[in-house]
Formats: sequence, structure tokens, C-alpha cells
Amino acid sequence: MLKLLKEIFRTGEATVKYPFAPMPVCKDFRGKPEHKAEDCIACAACTVACPANAIGMETDTAAGSRTWSIDYGRCVFCGRCEESCPTSAIRLSDDFELAVGSKADLTRKAVFTLADCACCGKPFAPAKEVDYVARLLSQSARSAEEADRLRLTASTCPACKRAQDVHHIADMGIARQMTQELETTP
Amino acid sequence: MNVPLDPKTLVAEMSPVSTSEHIAAMKKALLKNIQRSAYVYRVDCGGCNGCEIEIFSSITPVFDAERFGIKVVASPRHADILLFTGAVTRAMRMPGLRAYEAAPDPKIVVSYGACGCTGGIFHDLYCVWGGTDNIVPVDVYIPGCPPTPAATIHGFAVALGLLEQKLKAETHVEAAGETAALPHPDIPYALRVRLEREARRMAGYRQGRDIAEEFMALLEGRAHTPGSFTLLECMMEAIAEERDPRRAEIIGHLAEVVQQAIRGEAPRGETP
Ligand code: SF4
Ligand code: SF4
Ligand code: SF4
Repeated sequence: MLKLLKEIFRTGEATVKYPFAPMPVCKDFRGKPEHKAEDCIACAACTVACPANAIGMETDTAAGSRTWSIDYGRCVFCGRCEESCPTSAIRLSDDFELAVGSKADLTRKAVFTLADCACCGKPFAPAKEVDYVARLLSQSARSAEEADRLRLTASTCPACKRAQDVHHIADMGIARQMTQELETTP
Repeated sequence: MNVPLDPKTLVAEMSPVSTSEHIAAMKKALLKNIQRSAYVYRVDCGGCNGCEIEIFSSITPVFDAERFGIKVVASPRHADILLFTGAVTRAMRMPGLRAYEAAPDPKIVVSYGACGCTGGIFHDLYCVWGGTDNIVPVDVYIPGCPPTPAATIHGFAVALGLLEQKLKAETHVEAAGETAALPHPDIPYALRVRLEREARRMAGYRQGRDIAEEFMALLEGRAHTPGSFTLLECMMEAIAEERDPRRAEIIGHLAEVVQQAIRGEAPRGETP
């Protein structure tokens, strides 16, 4: 009996104080993914990475907007979104108190505007993403002209880029060059 | 292409379970003056069992849900709270409904785990209903895969009306002129990529990024403090201060990457 009492006193109270006191979580705890929409460039990397399809993107070209959304009810707290985010806009936080009474409260949305193509004027990518890429590319440009050219490339839609490539190749006149070379070679 | 199938179309007649106003009023009364223990019956509707383990760990002495009178019972006939876990497989629909019908009114239905809330990782499987609320009306959702014992206790507190829910639906609309900041504008982009790649190669994606971030903050910090330290001395100091030998080695490698970049050498395994 005495031995048992001693053991009890030695062990002390094992039960945690939660919910009357905050619950400490360990380092690198994977809680609710916290999205900082200000830093997000709507690049959709997290959407592709998310194994549970908790993160989604919807593009509305008529309204010129792209909507990012997350459903905490579907998230499996794997952290893939945070690994893939180029701007660290989404990070798993310490927050685990997610219980809600209505399902609608489990979603977060962020609406971004689309940028128009510099060439054809049709909306093609989120304005923030275009701006981010342009700044990133011109950061490593060697001259001001190169920076301008890179910025223009970033703000052109893939269809226009392809069309320009075709024109560019035609202008190069490869066939003409080759005939000339054939003529000049003895 | 696989078109996602709505499970509701697979069953000819499926009258939604509805609760009358009378029962809703009884439920409110129950929540207001529940003067006794709340009995919980757990309905496993085809999850991976992770959720069950967490439910049982929340009734262990460490979390001790029984101090709030939350008790797990063996029959739905004794239950006040029905705890549905799992994504509701087709085979579990009838047993799930039977458990729901067997519990006496008023009852509180809690949907537990990502699977219970929406189907979670299994949401688009051919054989699941994707969430408890597709078969019975749900009062409280506890997300998590699985929810930790603390999250479970918080969820019960929300279900019993003791705590307020913390989440609210929010929509952020991009403000005019909103731009994302470029990370580490002082460090050349190519070097930043090389550092992150090396750190992630050695420490994995998440910790690798954290270490690379720390290292780049160190580099930038050095650039902003005038002093007679050379880069190498600064790195050596950082490595010497590091208590964890694994991190020290990674920082050493990152310092090597910086040295390589300064000497103009190509990264390992690449030709310049
Ligand atoms: S943590 Fe995983 S499941 Fe959750 S949103 Fe991120 S990628 Fe998706
Ligand atoms: S990966 Fe990051 S920046 Fe890209 S859409 Fe997701 S949160 Fe936004
Ligand atoms: S929510 Fe996650 S842990 Fe719970 S049953 Fe589903 S897959 Fe398993």
C-alpha cells in the first residue's frame, strides 16, 4: 500500500490541463494550413501537389478572376502544399482547434485577378504571378534591354509566344542561308 | 476520362434523413441542461482506423475525456453522441443508418476526421459516399487526419456547446497593386536555387527549406553588418555554433556551394 502511494506521488498527475490551458505542440507539428493570400501568386503548385484535392483553383475568364480555395475538412495535413509553394505563402501552423458546426466554415477562398496577354489582350495568368515572374527574371538579367525583353516574354500568353516563334523562325530564313552556303562551297 | 460519379445517383431511392423541429428543440434543451455524462457511441464507417486510435488515446489518462463525463459506450441505444468516422463505404451505409436510428432522440451527430467530414483522402473513390453528411444530418465536424486527442476534446467541447468554434469562412479579394515580395532579393537567383536544392537534397523538402532560409538570412545578415569577417570565417563560426552535427554538416555543404559559386564553378553533376 505504502509502495503504491509512493509510486502515485512519484508519478504525479499525468493528465494534461487542456482545454483549460493551451496545449503545447511539438516542433514541426502539422496543423491547419495557414494561407497568406498577400504572398500567394496563385501559381497553383499547391493545387497540383495536394493529394486529397483539398486545395482547388477555378478560373473565370469572363470575370477575369481566379479563385483559390481550401477545404480544411478534406485536408489530410501532409504538408505537400507548403513544400511546393514558391513564395512560402502557405504554411502549416500549430492550430489544431478546427471543429465547426457548419461545413461552410471549413473553407477559405482567395480571389485573384487575371493579367491580359501583352500581345493578344486575352486574360491568361494571374496578374500577381506574371508580375512575380517578371521581377524574378529581370533580377538575373544582365542588361536593361534584356530585363525588358524578359518582362515582355513573361507577360505574353503561350499561344502568342508560339505564333511569334513561328514568325521568328520564318524571318531567320534558314532555307535561304542553306542555299547560299551550298552555292559558296566549292 | 474518369468522370467523378455522384454516389447519390447509384441508389434508386434515398430519402434524406431529416430531423423535425420538435427534435431540434429537444436537442437544444439537452445541450443547455445536460446534467450528466454524455455517452458516445462510435460508428466506424470504413476509415483507416487512425481515427479510432486517436479516439481511444483521448480517453487514456493523459487526455482523459472522462473527466468531462464523455464516456464511450458499447451500444447506440445508450448514446447521446454518435461519432461517425470513415468515409462511409457503400457497405457501411445501412449499418450507419441503423446505428443512427437506434440512438434515442435527441442525439448529436459528430463527423470525425477528414474522412467523416468530406471523405478526406478517399473522397473520390468509387466505393464511398464521401462523408457522413451524405447519409445522416451532422451537427459538428472535427477535421484532422486523424484529429489529435486535444483536437478531439476541443471538438466534443464544441459539440456540447462549451467552447465556441474558432474557424469562420473567409474570402480574400486581391487588393489593387498587391504584389508578392521576392524572397532574398540580395542573393542572386541562381545561387538561391543551388542553395535550396542542396539543402533539400540533404534534409528533405521541409527541413531543407528551413535550413536554406536560415542560411540565406545569415548570408544577408553578414552583408549588412560591416566588419572584417570574411565569408569563410562567418560560415565557420556558424558551423561551430551549431549543436546538431547533422545540421552542421548541411551548413558546411551550403558554405561549400557558396564558395563554388564565388569561384565560378558549376554545381556538382552539371557542366558549366
Ligand atoms: S496539407 Fe496536404 S492535404 Fe492539406 S492542403 Fe496541404 S497538400 Fe492538401
Ligand atoms: S503554391 Fe503558394 S503561391 Fe502558389 S497558389 Fe499555392 S499558396 Fe499560392
Ligand atoms: S481521417 Fe485519416 S486517420 Fe481518420 S480514418 Fe480517414 S484516413 Fe484514417
